[in-house]
Amino acid sequence: MKIISQKTRPYLILAATILVLAIVDRGRGNVLSGATVFSALQYLATLGPVALGLSLTMLVREYDLSVAGVFGLAGCVAVLVGADYPALGFAAAMLTGAASGFIQGLIITRLQMPSIGVTLGGLLTAIGLAYVITGNQTLSSDNIDLALALNARVAGLFTPRSIIALALAVAFAMALYWLWIGRDLIAIGSDRRAAHTAGVRVDALMVAVFTTSGVLAALSGALLSYSLASASPSGLSDVLVPATAAAILGGVSLSGGTGTPLGVTAGVLMLGVLRAGLNALGAPPFAHDMSMGAVLLAVAILDAPGIRAFFGRFQMTGNRAEDQTVRAR
Amino acid sequence: MKPSVLSDMSVPVTPAPGRFTWMTDRIDFVDGLRIAVFAALAIGAVLTPGFLSVPSLLSLLTTLSFVGCVAVGMTMITLSGNIMSFSLGATAAAAAVAFVHVLNAWGLAAGIAAALVTGALISAAQGLIIGSLRANPIIVSIASLALIYGVLNLLTGNATLDVETGSVLSPAWRRPFGIPIEALAFLLCLFIGQCLLSFTVFGRRVFLIGSGMRSADVLGLRVWRSVTAVYAWAGVFAAMAGILLATRYNQANMEYGIGYDYDAIAAVLVGGVAIKGGIGSMWRTLAGVCLMATVQVVLLLHGFRQEWQYLIAGLIVLLVVVLQARRRS
Repeated sequence: MKIISQKTRPYLILAATILVLAIVDRGRGNVLSGATVFSALQYLATLGPVALGLSLTMLVREYDLSVAGVFGLAGCVAVLVGADYPALGFAAAMLTGAASGFIQGLIITRLQMPSIGVTLGGLLTAIGLAYVITGNQTLSSDNIDLALALNARVAGLFTPRSIIALALAVAFAMALYWLWIGRDLIAIGSDRRAAHTAGVRVDALMVAVFTTSGVLAALSGALLSYSLASASPSGLSDVLVPATAAAILGGVSLSGGTGTPLGVTAGVLMLGVLRAGLNALGAPPFAHDMSMGAVLLAVAILDAPGIRAFFGRFQMTGNRAEDQTVRAR
Repeated sequence: MKPSVLSDMSVPVTPAPGRFTWMTDRIDFVDGLRIAVFAALAIGAVLTPGFLSVPSLLSLLTTLSFVGCVAVGMTMITLSGNIMSFSLGATAAAAAVAFVHVLNAWGLAAGIAAALVTGALISAAQGLIIGSLRANPIIVSIASLALIYGVLNLLTGNATLDVETGSVLSPAWRRPFGIPIEALAFLLCLFIGQCLLSFTVFGRRVFLIGSGMRSADVLGLRVWRSVTAVYAWAGVFAAMAGILLATRYNQANMEYGIGYDYDAIAAVLVGGVAIKGGIGSMWRTLAGVCLMATVQVVLLLHGFRQEWQYLIAGLIVLLVVVLQARRRS
């Protein structure tokens, strides 16, 4: 039994967050304003693609720790290589992300290794590489025009960065919904052996998923660095925890097989709204951490097989079979 | 119930049946390789001019002890099949803050007790949720990370808490018998951890649960008790790291311990504790911690700058984790 369906959960949580913030605001209009929407969308622009890539790996029951490292590394690569030709730097950053994801995906599938160990190595290596190529210094880019262009407001609420993030989310949602890819990924995440038997090209898809995850992390990192006109090996790496939180709030499960790109986007937006709304309310900085932790903990508990089994007891006997499979997972 | 349960139970629980021994795991070919790497590194280290000097060795011992204590706690969690925790570094920070706070009011002994209890409680609460509800350990640890930092920020306002007497320990106590107190505390943690694993029924249960939680269920173990205890001990060991940090710097800050989770799990994996749980020992963790620290010192003595140390540390983690793949195939 599922207490709240994982499909609708992200939207419910997002709506509940907005509602609670609006109620606390008591109609003063601090929360329900364009500024909040804008800043939540900016949060999405930074975190959305990373969370999307991470959630794809979680969909196939893996976990890509290296996104945080690739995010920072790609930013440094973009600023270093793209000093004169930003497009070249951007391409180099994407290539770095793709190569990192591809290599890790190959190691994981060829050697049949748990992804946490491999991607931990990938994370530390990427961070190390970022330190080496920058010489342990913060880089700044002269290209202020590009930074201004990336941060220019479009239609009042958007910036080019957030439009890219939204477009990516929609593109992935459509691809997973209409193409065979979504079905195959869910099959891999639900039961890898059965998927293999059914003819799904498990290894190729897994490598593709890790490559995509690397590319998306690199994209976020590069765009963020360009928009800040600077990159540092240490400053940008703290994205793993919020990206994971967003994916989980977005209905993705670490046990694989569930989650949609739009749900993950709603999860990121929820974190963004929470941050922007609490800021608008003048809440102290720890309020964001605590409320995010509390919501995430609640979701972890609601998702736990044990609690489902507990509530399953109160159901009619007809649901026993499902209850047992849930417990077995 | 299901055939899969039987296959779970056929996983050998590593310790020899019926006897309590120190060597809770066997050494195989890959470990031979690993030992060869360690030996090569040791020779390289000894041949490095300046490595074998007493101050150099003592400072090596001191620096590895902080992460080492967290790694001992991480080993408990990994062995019990709960992969890793993202919140042990934050637990160390919380313990450090509690330590200095109580130390200023009631003295050293009370401070130590308060820190250890704080660590144990924070961590045991997570263990209870994970063990009884079977919530996902990674998500629970991420939620706890956010909650711990939120509460710490609320309590300290991100300010540094100074020890009022100026210094926690007299110079004589900093180096009893010429050995840094940090190293002694780390060895004590290792010893306690390995005694728990080798000589107690609790240790047996940790290995059994790590090999397969469901088979432990089938055997009628009260898994939640053991998992809660595992996390409580992990919290105690992390708290020890916090106490050491506060003692060393004579102050406490919520930023202590950031990044220790990654370093600790890297050491645990490099030492050869299986990421899936059930196989490993504290000695392996000790080897991993020593390896990572020695590499850094040797690189430093050879004139490599810090950024290269980060990169090479990452590559070593990747390499050793990949080597581990052969064990299972």
